[in-house]
Amino acid sequence: EMPPFERSQELRPFKQRKCFATRKDEVTNIKSKFPNKLPVIIERYSKEKVLPLLPKTKFLAPPELSLCQFVTIIRIRNRMAIESNQAFYLLVNNRTLCGMSLTLAEIYAHNQDEDGFLYMTYASQEMFGA
Amino acid sequence: MNSVSPSSVQYLSTGEEDLLRPEPSRFLAHSPSRGEKNYNGYFNGAESPSQNEALEVDKIKSKLISAGISAWNNVKYGWTVKTKTNFSRTSPLYLLGHCYSLELEDDIEAFKKDFVTRLWLTYRREFPQLEGSIWTTDCGWGCMLRSGQMLLAQGLMAHFLTRGWTWPDSLAAVEIELEPFRPRSFLKAGVSSSRQVPTAQRGRNRRTQELCAEFIWNSQDAEKERHHRNIISWFGDHPAASFGVHQLVEHGKSSGKKAGDWYGPSIVAHIIRRSVEEACETQDLTVYVAQDCTVYKADVIRLCEQTPAACDSNLPAKGKSVIILVPVRLGGETLNPVYMSCVKEIFKLEWCVGIIGGKPKHSLYFIGFQGRFFLTIDSEECSPLPSKEVSTFPLLHKSFHCTSPRKMALSKMDPSCTIGFYARNKTEFEALCVDVTRVLNSSAFRETYSIFTFAEGHAQDYRLDDLCSQLSEQAVQVPNIGKRGKAKRPSTEDFVFL
Repeated sequence: EMPPFERSQELRPFKQRKCFATRKDEVTNIKSKFPNKLPVIIERYSKEKVLPLLPKTKFLAPPELSLCQFVTIIRIRNRMAIESNQAFYLLVNNRTLCGMSLTLAEIYAHNQDEDGFLYMTYASQEMFGA
Repeated sequence: MNSVSPSSVQYLSTGEEDLLRPEPSRFLAHSPSRGEKNYNGYFNGAESPSQNEALEVDKIKSKLISAGISAWNNVKYGWTVKTKTNFSRTSPLYLLGHCYSLELEDDIEAFKKDFVTRLWLTYRREFPQLEGSIWTTDCGWGCMLRSGQMLLAQGLMAHFLTRGWTWPDSLAAVEIELEPFRPRSFLKAGVSSSRQVPTAQRGRNRRTQELCAEFIWNSQDAEKERHHRNIISWFGDHPAASFGVHQLVEHGKSSGKKAGDWYGPSIVAHIIRRSVEEACETQDLTVYVAQDCTVYKADVIRLCEQTPAACDSNLPAKGKSVIILVPVRLGGETLNPVYMSCVKEIFKLEWCVGIIGGKPKHSLYFIGFQGRFFLTIDSEECSPLPSKEVSTFPLLHKSFHCTSPRKMALSKMDPSCTIGFYARNKTEFEALCVDVTRVLNSSAFRETYSIFTFAEGHAQDYRLDDLCSQLSEQAVQVPNIGKRGKAKRPSTEDFVFL
C-alpha cells in the first residue's frame, strides 16, 4: 500500500523553480562542504499516477553506491517496498534507464547537468486498456 | 452472436473461388470419417492422454468435416488484413529468433507458417461472469491480459512443442502484402552488403517447411497436436482454465487490480508467475520476474533446480524449465531511441518469447521486427467469438491463430513493457545469459544504458537492509549563499544525506 500524497500540491520541477545560477551556487556550496558526495535531484515523473511523491527532492549520495543500492534505499525509505512487486524505475534525465550495476560516480560522470546536479525521475509503468 | 467479418460473407457469395483453392479440398479428401462428438466448450476431450493416436487423428479430421466448409471459409477468408501491412522484400524479417527473407518464396511460406502458429488471444464477449464483478467481457480493459496470455502461450509452446514446431494444418492462411519486386539487377547490387540472413537459418526454415508441407500424421505429429490443443484449452474464457482471463483477474487481485481495471506489463508479469505457480498443467515450468531490471542468476538457477511436484513423479527428476520476464521502462514519455537497436537484437534470439507492451494505452504483443518496424499481434482485433453453435473444432481452433501480421513503427512503442525469455533447463539458462548479455552490451553505449542486467548471486545478497539501517536519514541544512550580501533566507529545501 502506497502512502497518500504527502503534499497537497505537487511542486513545479526543480529546474523551473530555481534559476541556473542559483542551482549552480547550490552545487558549489554543497560540494565545498561535502567533496565526497554527489548532489542528486530525484523527482516524480510528471504523469506518474501510482507512486507517491517523495518528501524531499535533493540528495547527497556516496559516489561508490551502485544504482541498484541507490534504488533500494530510495524504495525502502519511502515505503515503496520491494516485496510489493511495484514497478519502480529511475530514469536519468527523464529518459534513460541505466545499468543497475553502475556506480553513481559513473552515472554522474556521463549524465550530470551543467548546473552540477544529476537529475533523475522515478516512474512506474503505464497501463494499457483502451 | 458470432462476429463474422463482412469479407467472409462476401466470400460466400463467390463460392466458386473455393474450387480454385486446392488446400481445403485436398485436406478434406484425406478425412473420410465423420465425427460423433462435439468439441463443446474448450476441448475437454483433448486432455485424456490414454487415447491412442489413430483415434486422435481421426478425431481431428472428423472435426474438420463436422464444422463444414462454410465454417472453414469463415476461418480462411474471414479475417483479412484490415489495414494494409506492407512488408519489405529486401529487409530481413525476424520472428522470435528466426530470420526470413521475403524475396524468397520458400521463406515467405515458412514465415506464414511460423506466424500463424503463434497463439492469438483477443477480447471476448459473453463469457461466464468474472467473480465479484458484473463483467462478462474484457473488451475495452483486458488487452494487456490478452497480450500476457499470448506471451505465456509462446512460452508454453516453446516448452511443450519447441520453437521450431509449426502448426501442420495452418494451410498457410496468412495473408501478407509485399512490396512490389524491384528489378533483379538492382536487388543483386544491394544484396551482398545488406543481406544479413544467415544461410544456416534459411536452410532450417526450408527444412521445417518441407517437413510440414506433407500432411503426415505420424505418432509424433499427433502427440504435438495434442499438446497444441491442450495449450489452447488452458486459455479458455471460463473459470476452470488455468490461464483464462478468469484466473488471471483472480491472480491480479493481490496486485490491487480487479476486473475492469487497466493492467500494466509489470503487473501482468507477476500475474503470469502466480498463474503458472498454481497451474497443475505446468508442474515442470516456473516463471521468474526480474525486479529493478536485474536478473539474479542464482535465483533463477534455484528455480530451475526445483523438483517438479509429485504428480509428475513418473518423469525423471530433471528440474524445471523457466520463463524469465523482465519488466522495464525504456524512457519517460516515449521510447528512448538509445534502446531501439537493442530491442531489435533481442528479437534475433531464439530465447526470446516476445515482448508485451503496446503503443500508448493500446496493448500489443511484439514478436519481431523488420527494418524500422516491429512485428506485432493485436489483442484488440475483433475476433470471432466462439459461440455454442460453432464451437466445433476447427473454427474454435483457428480463432486462436492470427492470420494478419501487423507492423508498427519502432518509435511508436510505449516505453513500458515486459521482455520474455524461455530456457529449458539450467544449462540453457547459462547459455541464455551469455547470449542476452552480449546483446545488451552490443550497443554503442555499452552497459551504461543497459536495458537490464544479469547479476551473480541472489537478490537477497543485495538486499542492503543493513546498509539502509546504517544510513540513518538526516537532513543537512545548507545555509543559502545570498548573492552580493543580500539577506539570507533559510533554505526551505534540504539535502537528504545518504
